[in-house]
Amino acid sequence: MTSWLKKIQQSPRLQFILFGVLLSSMAILPLLGVVRSSTMSIYAYIIIYTVVALGLNLLLGFSGLISLGTAGFMGAGALGIGVFMNMGLPFELAVVLTLLVSAMIGAFIGLFSLRVNSIYLAIATLFVGEILRQIYSQVAIFGGEGINIGPVRFFGLIELNRSLRPERSLIFLILVIVLVVMMIVAYNIVKSSTGRALMAMSRSENAAQAMGVSILKYRLTAFITATLFATIGGILYGIYFQDAPTRQWDLNLSLFLIAMVVVGGIKSFFGMFLGVFIVHGLSDLFLKDWLGDVSFIFSGVLIIVVILFYPYGTVHIWVDFKRFLKYIKSKIDKRKGVTPRG
Amino acid sequence: MANQTLLKIEDVTMRFGGLIAVNKLSFDIKEKEIVGLIGPNGAGKTTVFNCITQFYKDYEGKILFKSTDGYTDLKEKKITEIIDQGIVRTFQNVELVKDLSVLDNVLIGAHNQFKSQIFSHILRTKKAKIEEETLRKKAMAVLEFMDIAHLKDLYVGVQPYGIQKKIEIARTLMSNPKLIILDEPAAGLNDSETDELEALIYKIKDKYNAAILLIEHDMGFVMNICERVCAINFGKFIAMDSPKKIQKHKEVQEAYLGKDDA
Repeated sequence: MTSWLKKIQQSPRLQFILFGVLLSSMAILPLLGVVRSSTMSIYAYIIIYTVVALGLNLLLGFSGLISLGTAGFMGAGALGIGVFMNMGLPFELAVVLTLLVSAMIGAFIGLFSLRVNSIYLAIATLFVGEILRQIYSQVAIFGGEGINIGPVRFFGLIELNRSLRPERSLIFLILVIVLVVMMIVAYNIVKSSTGRALMAMSRSENAAQAMGVSILKYRLTAFITATLFATIGGILYGIYFQDAPTRQWDLNLSLFLIAMVVVGGIKSFFGMFLGVFIVHGLSDLFLKDWLGDVSFIFSGVLIIVVILFYPYGTVHIWVDFKRFLKYIKSKIDKRKGVTPRG
Repeated sequence: MANQTLLKIEDVTMRFGGLIAVNKLSFDIKEKEIVGLIGPNGAGKTTVFNCITQFYKDYEGKILFKSTDGYTDLKEKKITEIIDQGIVRTFQNVELVKDLSVLDNVLIGAHNQFKSQIFSHILRTKKAKIEEETLRKKAMAVLEFMDIAHLKDLYVGVQPYGIQKKIEIARTLMSNPKLIILDEPAAGLNDSETDELEALIYKIKDKYNAAILLIEHDMGFVMNICERVCAINFGKFIAMDSPKKIQKHKEVQEAYLGKDDA
């Protein structure tokens, strides 16, 4: 048993899977009537945003680049599969095409980013996001207000319709699986020579180049990857809500996504989930019930407090928690008359 | 067999607007030689380094480096391809990734030896795993050689300056270098650390068979360690000779101390 625990402790990939298993309970509990089915939808949102935040984290935390156009790419995911599926294409093909289009836009921004940095890059990506938003609401193909996606058929085998509760739970499970896969993907990238190159690039471009790290290649890598994560988040939205609105993908959302990454803890993986949970989930899940309409004020204050005490992200609460446990243990040991070691 | 010339700098001139930072400079370095580049502040030493490593590309003249078939004009190579030629450098203000472990920082020095790409990293293919494992072992060997293996999992940011300098040198050793360029390796080190560095540079030369070109203001250190010293002032070549002869060279003395008016 203990060796089993140790194995999990040493392998973040196993932790991600275990985390997915825990999260899956949210798919079953509504069926048993233990929690409301709207709660599951809030968790679906959390999963979707976490996937996007994981990609943004690669950009912001590991590569030192910024994007204010993230929401635009989420929209590309949801609306992309909507458009392609309305053309009668199968779901899988729609996903591949959507990802291709997004990757191309991501590559374009990556190329663009070679010429601009910091605040200028922020402004440039801000307008990429705005242009995308305008395209979504103006171009007729996106249906003005949005596209109804409807039931999604996976691999031509099963068709899942969100308006049926058991099927909605199954869709939720798909979201959880994708989240776990994306966590592992992000982790694998960071822990490889690609990840090291991204970090070398972000800390000193000169030193990185002297070590043979091509700035062009890794800026492209960073932007394309982050864009794909955001698009996958959007696709998950399309799968779960089976609807693709056009007006939701604005700067506001992009900024909130950055807040989620920062509040959770830059460069952390579980931190992304935690950040999304605090920024997005907390007010919807708990505060709203207790406080009603003023819950947003409280969640805002809460985020500010969290940032004040955990400027490097809320994942560091864990470190304090462990310290607290140690403290308790030493107190107990003292009472038993055992002198603490060290 | 005498060592062949490894690096030839021929008539290199580098201008920044109206300022001539390096003026028709020529000198060479032989294989496995330790060469010091000295000169007063603003003499253009770091500019020379930046030209060799192709940070600056618009210099006049030629910088040639020995390759398997004759000499390569480094100007034809991209800045990121310099390390493939066997030239690697450190920086005046240590340029490490502070929030990566010591081992990971050293592994960045082997970046050009990783053949696997992002897709094999994501899927963790067998090939990518073996590659990572092999280079990790190599990095451990380098850390052991540098006597800092016990620090491998710690963050670089929390290490003292002397250790950070060592890590930067360790990073250069990952690329099987033929020429290691050190920009003020002894700056900020105390006396015992400087002595240690001296021993280390000899050890590196022996084990890795690399030539070393260094800029340093600590004259005792330069004179002790270098086989030849090249002195420049205002970007111009003054003299290149053994440390003893350089110390007695009249123009070199003038460059540092000023002219005797009497």
